[in-house]
Amino acid sequence: MAEFWSWVEMLPLSARIGESWWFPLLESIHVLTAMFVFGSILFVDLRLLGAAAMQYPAARFTREFLHWTWGAFAIALISGLGMFMTRAGWYVTNRAFQAKLVLLALAALNMALFHFLGQRDIDRWDAAARTSKAARIAGAASLFCWLGVTLAGRWTGHLS
Amino acid sequence: MSDPLRELARALANSGAHDAAVDWLRTVPGLPPIMQTLHLASIAVVLGTIVVLDLRVLGLAVPSQSPAEMSRRLAPWTWSALPVLLVSGAIFVLARPQRYFTNPMFGIKFALLVPALALTAALYSVTRRTDARPAIARVLAVTSLLAWIGVVLAGRWIAYVDYLFPPE
Repeated sequence: MAEFWSWVEMLPLSARIGESWWFPLLESIHVLTAMFVFGSILFVDLRLLGAAAMQYPAARFTREFLHWTWGAFAIALISGLGMFMTRAGWYVTNRAFQAKLVLLALAALNMALFHFLGQRDIDRWDAAARTSKAARIAGAASLFCWLGVTLAGRWTGHLS
Repeated sequence: MSDPLRELARALANSGAHDAAVDWLRTVPGLPPIMQTLHLASIAVVLGTIVVLDLRVLGLAVPSQSPAEMSRRLAPWTWSALPVLLVSGAIFVLARPQRYFTNPMFGIKFALLVPALALTAALYSVTRRTDARPAIARVLAVTSLLAWIGVVLAGRWIAYVDYLFPPE
């Protein structure tokens, strides 16, 4: 596996990014898009927790802007990969980066569980004054995961 | 750097707040990334609220919600993120005032922050009263977002200033 990561680092594109202003540019784009992802998911989390926008049904509230979140996520992912390939071998052994990947996987799992199991009874509480217990758990877990992803991402750069 | 700024940087560097900031950042485990995450999470709140309102005002998302109601609901979130941004950023400036006050990107960031705040205040003020989405609201939506993107980019490039302003 180590050979594969050094092969990635040796790619002409990796060197091009790592040795120029491309890296800070990609990092800036990553910060901008990732923070919009976090901010807009915060909307959903607070709605699921019953803390904001209760006058709008949860399902519709989420559906009406989440495609923008996915678009921003795609850009954050591509810019992140661009930074990753400059020092792939270093990133994969970086504890903070490993934690970030685990938290991203947990965020995805939480999203999938809520999508396929947690909101089966959404019709019952969609417009109610109080959200379901599953919705509140999913909202809190998502908030925790994304805060953790941000912290681990920022911490990655602090480790040598 | 102008003389008043130089004076301010020197005064800050000699203050007790400087010593406290340096001490905390050095001795509290993980404090630098934690404060930066607080700063980033507040940026997420500012960007999230403004982008979603902008998309609504421009007719690109959330068609079922009233723009005026959204504006009134989102404004407190945007404004309450600002003190958190100030405190989480100030600790780094206090710890190394000379580094920041001599950095051109730091100056650009704060020069952009003024229009960003003014345009955001104008956007909220125009949109909170009407669902009509007048042309001025659309202009404010686009310009306020561009100003905030500029603030975030300049903030990130404080660390990469040498690419744009090569040291002599």
